[in-house]
Amino acid sequence: MKKKPVILLLLLILATGWIRFDQPIHKPRPVNFVIPKGWPKPQYDFSKNPLTEEGIALGKKLFYDERLSRDGTISCGSCHQQFGAFATYDHPLSHGYDNSLTTRNAPGLFNLAWQKEFMWDGGINHLDLQPLAPITAMNEMAETLPSVIHKLQSDKTYRQLCKAAFGDENMNTRRLGMALSQFVLQLVSSNSKYDRVMRGEDHFILPEQLGYAIFQKKCESCHKEPLFTDFSYRNVDIPLDPFLKDIGRMRITNDRGDSLKFKVPSLRNVAMTFPYGHDGRFFSLQSVLEHYRNIHGNDPQTDSLLRNGLPLSNFEIGQLKAFLYTLTDSSFLKDPRFAAPGMLFNGKPPADIHQ
Amino acid sequence: MKRITPIVIFAVFFFPGFVMPSYSQSYPVRNITVHFHNRIGNTPLELGKQVTNILGNEITIERFRYYVSHFSVVTSDNRTIPLPEACFLIDEEDSSSRTIRLSIPDIPITGIRFLLGVDSLKNVSGTQTGALDPLQGMFWTWNTGYIMAKLEGSSPEAQTAGHRFTYHIGGFRKGMETARNISIPFQQTVTQLTTLHILADINQWFTGKSILRISETPICHSPGALAVRIADNYQRQFSLLSLQ
Ligand code: HEC
Ligand code: HEC
Repeated sequence: MKKKPVILLLLLILATGWIRFDQPIHKPRPVNFVIPKGWPKPQYDFSKNPLTEEGIALGKKLFYDERLSRDGTISCGSCHQQFGAFATYDHPLSHGYDNSLTTRNAPGLFNLAWQKEFMWDGGINHLDLQPLAPITAMNEMAETLPSVIHKLQSDKTYRQLCKAAFGDENMNTRRLGMALSQFVLQLVSSNSKYDRVMRGEDHFILPEQLGYAIFQKKCESCHKEPLFTDFSYRNVDIPLDPFLKDIGRMRITNDRGDSLKFKVPSLRNVAMTFPYGHDGRFFSLQSVLEHYRNIHGNDPQTDSLLRNGLPLSNFEIGQLKAFLYTLTDSSFLKDPRFAAPGMLFNGKPPADIHQ
Repeated sequence: MKRITPIVIFAVFFFPGFVMPSYSQSYPVRNITVHFHNRIGNTPLELGKQVTNILGNEITIERFRYYVSHFSVVTSDNRTIPLPEACFLIDEEDSSSRTIRLSIPDIPITGIRFLLGVDSLKNVSGTQTGALDPLQGMFWTWNTGYIMAKLEGSSPEAQTAGHRFTYHIGGFRKGMETARNISIPFQQTVTQLTTLHILADINQWFTGKSILRISETPICHSPGALAVRIADNYQRQFSLLSLQ
């Protein structure tokens, strides 16, 4: 029994080895990532980039900072707008540096934690690396990484935010990506009418109910619940645009079999993310559904599920649309945690939005 | 005594000074320097200066960079001992980058091995730092992955704007791999090595395994068959110049 104090003392001495006096007392405050009930396990490895309030705050500042672009006019938020579920509202293609246009339609950003590959062709294999593409693309933010990192390192606020989030002031490419990931990972959309119905808190009205049944029969195999995508790449018989010449997934895999395959997009908030398709060629849900029902399936490259076409009557289209509207998550569109600095949190596009 | 055991275990594993045992525990270590000498045939590379390559084409090289990583030494009984993981970017523009320092086990060795390029794991695990920081410009952002090696310049042969040729060689996905294992045998058993001089001959890019004509293919900017072909060529660029 006499040994106890000795042991305790020994432990105490050992424990002091952990204390580092050069470190601030304030530790970043951990944030728990909540998985909505019944959803699968996220793909993102949070253990490599633990969420903290400070990390998220830094990420949010970066997301809305125009200085990430060459001429200081374009932020991530310029193309990913909250009122459009973080797609570019009402734009087939988005505006980039010096009057340029992107070559693809900006997808909405939400539920990214469940996604393994990014972009319409899945070319980017890690969420932390995603920001590097728009930052350096000449038709997006047109910057270079050394220049962006230099701007951030010479800014006192960033150095402070960086220290609060990661323990020291060294803002680098890795932390830029980690912080932006921490912010965009917060963009979880799981509170639409559909979700409330699934949780037993609400009821579909008849057209929605009928639309849901049609959806489960005809769309579910690709737009899989609860994320409304199975994250596969499919050719849905959308012909090649002769100007954009976008071959989709084949650009990444070099496999002819992947020609014109694009990632199945989520349909959550789909009412807000028009125009549709990888190049924004469909201006309305009606035109997307018209496309589906006119597929002849002659092209051997077309997805086998659509080889025999996808017949839809006018009634069915009406009901499908009623169902798709239930996927709008207005609390997400209005969530002040995600809002651009100085924006009203009403979830509505500003009245003076340009085309 | 029984009570003490867990504490001892605790102390060993959790004391801050604790380091994972590695090869350095089993062998004494020696520090060596490795110099990379970039050349075109016998001519030392000079950026911006016109030279004639092995195919008789006039070329002016403006940029030459490559990654080397995963070094290991070969022992006299033909075992391969990996060195602690490290990756270096050799950049002709930055003369200091052409000399690297390694710690090797202080035992008789018969050769050195390394990877020209970046292993596939680092191509799929988010953002790296140091030599592998994407801001080094050796990274494709739109199709995640490292550029293992870069050769850029101009030649009258190239039917492109400014007669430029650009070979950005990368790719890690199955069937598109461009990292290459390099083996530099010493042809003798060496003890107390201090310095290695390794030659990188750019001529091998054009003739290593198959002929690469600038007139036919002045540009390689993405993973795929052409990149793999060029990688098979540059795999042969290294040889031993001398050692001390
Ligand atoms: C000029 C407009 C523009 C800017 C600025 C921009 N993006 Fe995007 N973003 C797009 C477009 C267009 C795509 C689709 C690109 C593709 O698939 O090739 C996209 C795709 C994405 C994706 C992938 C989504 C998915 O479902 O695969 C993420 C994540 C993303 N952007 C985040 C960001 C972040 C973070 C920033 C700021 C660093 C940013 N974006 C800046 C237009 C933009
Ligand atoms: C074979 C798989 C498949 C099936 C079945 C399918 N889709 Fe799609 N859907 C896709 C793919 C892939 C895209 C992206 C196409 C593109 O842009 O190239 C897409 C795009 C869409 C879009 C545009 C979304 C956006 O944000 O751009 C809507 C809306 C849509 N589908 C609704 C439906 C509905 C409703 C059904 C059932 C009637 C359905 N889909 C059946 C694979 C499928």
